[in-house]
Amino acid sequence: MAEMQKIKLMSSDSAEITVDRDVAERSVLIKNMMEDIGEQAMTEAIPIPNVSSQYLVKPLQETNLPPQVNEAVLNKVIEWCVHHKGDPPATNDDDADSRKKTTDIEEWDQKFMQVDQEMLFEIILAANYLDIKALLDVGCKTVANMIKGKSPEEIRKTFNIQNDFTPEEEDQIRRENEWAEDR
Amino acid sequence: MVKRSQEDQQVDDRSAKRLRPSHPDRLSHLSDELLLRTLSCLSVSDLVLCQRLSCRFNSLAGDSQLWKALFYDRFVRPRASRIPGVRDQEQSTKSLYYSSKISKWLDDDHLVRRGSATNWKRKYKLRHNWSRGSANVSETQLAEHPSQPPLLVRLHDDIVVTADPVAGLRAWMLKGDDRLIASTPFHTDNEARSAGPTSLAVDETLSPTDRVNISVGYEDGSFAIYTLQQGERRFARRYVHAPSRNGAIHAIAYASPYLLTMTGAPLLSLYRFVHEPDEVSSNLESSSDRVNNMDSASSQEIKTYEESSRRHVHEDIVDYCVNDGGVGDDAKIRPPTLISSLRSQTAYPPTSLAIRASSTSIVASIAYAMPTWTSGWSVGLQEIRLTPEGAILDSRVASAAARGALSLPLDAQLRNPVQNLSAVALDQQVVAGVKMALGSKLTSLSYNHPYLLSAHPDNTLTLYMVTSNTEELSIGVGSRLWGHTSSVSGAHVGDRGKAVSVSAIGNELRVWELEGGMSSSTSRKRAAAGEASVQVRPEKNTATSETKIENTLRAHISAVAGAGSMRMRAFDDSTVTQGWVAFDEEKVVLLREKMQGAQALVVYDFA
Repeated sequence: MAEMQKIKLMSSDSAEITVDRDVAERSVLIKNMMEDIGEQAMTEAIPIPNVSSQYLVKPLQETNLPPQVNEAVLNKVIEWCVHHKGDPPATNDDDADSRKKTTDIEEWDQKFMQVDQEMLFEIILAANYLDIKALLDVGCKTVANMIKGKSPEEIRKTFNIQNDFTPEEEDQIRRENEWAEDR
Repeated sequence: MVKRSQEDQQVDDRSAKRLRPSHPDRLSHLSDELLLRTLSCLSVSDLVLCQRLSCRFNSLAGDSQLWKALFYDRFVRPRASRIPGVRDQEQSTKSLYYSSKISKWLDDDHLVRRGSATNWKRKYKLRHNWSRGSANVSETQLAEHPSQPPLLVRLHDDIVVTADPVAGLRAWMLKGDDRLIASTPFHTDNEARSAGPTSLAVDETLSPTDRVNISVGYEDGSFAIYTLQQGERRFARRYVHAPSRNGAIHAIAYASPYLLTMTGAPLLSLYRFVHEPDEVSSNLESSSDRVNNMDSASSQEIKTYEESSRRHVHEDIVDYCVNDGGVGDDAKIRPPTLISSLRSQTAYPPTSLAIRASSTSIVASIAYAMPTWTSGWSVGLQEIRLTPEGAILDSRVASAAARGALSLPLDAQLRNPVQNLSAVALDQQVVAGVKMALGSKLTSLSYNHPYLLSAHPDNTLTLYMVTSNTEELSIGVGSRLWGHTSSVSGAHVGDRGKAVSVSAIGNELRVWELEGGMSSSTSRKRAAAGEASVQVRPEKNTATSETKIENTLRAHISAVAGAGSMRMRAFDDSTVTQGWVAFDEEKVVLLREKMQGAQALVVYDFA
């Protein structure tokens, strides 16, 4: 019975998406919400992000707010959750985490992450907001792989990062870190 | 209705964003937490590149928690899996992954003792440099000509203390440009004595303060106590002991209030100062302070100790404590009491004296080179255990050559250790054991419990593991360490089994990780393959000092090639070359002899 339950999610752009409950519960946020509000959640669509009264106040800074999970992003996240539906549950303990240092990503996830940068970061933000740790790790590893093996200038170009150092400052940091570079 | 308009506005915002000319910096828009998570997937070399991206990345990629995890992964976990006990207990390798909740990483808790301020990136760099042997090298000229007796050097915290008959006692600061901080001649003009210094020791028991207590032993058998007052940049002479006819003091160890001396006779003497040179408190002192008060109340006690100790003494002990009283102008300390004295026929230089204190007893130990009849040189170790009050608990002898001797009753050893040793040397049963330790004369000996490391002229070192507990004192079978390509002139073992050795010719400085001894097959394999050590090289970016070193090296080689006699001397078993080397967590300091006998202090800084 519980296996077949469907729930509705609403993206920030008001699109309703129906998913199996166990797929949606890959998100710790939704799982906790379901436990809190119980069966009545079955009848109404869960807004992602749930718009609270503070959200109606003029936004102060983008990062302080829940990410805007639009239909495309939500579909992408759900696609991932469906594929990883059978995975063993992640340990709650973030600290005793046996997360490997490597940036190895399994093949399906690699293909899944072949998206443009906007989508990549939206997925990371959504995974973080929805508390889907495994997806968040895949996202972070993907970004790490984009950094790996590049020169600072190449990394800046890749992500359009503003260099706010003076040349002297940058040179100073370069010299301080020389010991670790040649490997 | 309100909601509707809000959503419209959001859509507007988003489309406005899309219209911006170049794509926005989405990476930097991530929260610190998400960025750190991303950075934690990177290797050290990528992480330091990220520090150059922007101010924000600089601080995030330098985050101490990131580096703590990297430190753990690289240095702690591999070691944990090498230690047999840990591996057996925790079968799954997963349990060895980093977790900040395990506050104690094996015995690495000394790393975090200083609290939350631990800079893990700095720690990582330090260990990284040690493991690769890269260091900044600087040199300080100490003397232009060789002296007789030769120059002595000791390292204590960031201070190097040197003693030679020409310049006297000097202290050098290793940080900053202002190197020489204090100096004093050994003898004032109106003194008749002119004996040169033959041994030097720094009191290791004091916690780091402004003051450093130093003991010096002289050619004529006398010794003196000095206090270096860093703030005032001067030495104060606190005590001078009268000369003795037992000969020059070859080795000295000082752990206030105890002083251990070794003369050429060879005679080992242990003294205790009744009054502290300073009111500076340390564990050892505070415990003995109490005792001292008691002693001064009833001086009878001391006599009893003296008399009881005399029974153990073999021959004439006439080191009566006489204070010449006429020199110096600083707060004097009262003459020390002779607690014990032992004469040995088998202890040869080089020797290594040490005093270590535990809560219940004080252990004075002497490690020495020992000739055996069947197989050349080996090492021996004697321990005298005392109560904090100064009463002798027992005295034990062990040697690497004569393992059979350890089963002898303790009593017999105590009464006549000398006879035991020679008798044992003849014991056919131990010949096999002797063969293991077969070796040429030692050039240097360093003992830091439980590691006993000897250096040999035949390019090798030998590591012995010492067992000392209430039941027994024993020295394990020696393991040879290969790696040097010329005669090893000096070696020093520090805490946790890190050792540094230096060879007589050239600039070969090697760092050894001896932790756990050579008991496991992997460590033996590494040792056999010459991988147990790392050779230290000057860092590339210090162009000036590197060329200087290279010049020295070249000069050295040409000198050796030109003068055959010099080479001969270096390899001659009968001379013990003074290869002094010492190190602490961040640096190695060694004494280098140059052409025409000029001597320089060379500092390898790994930080």
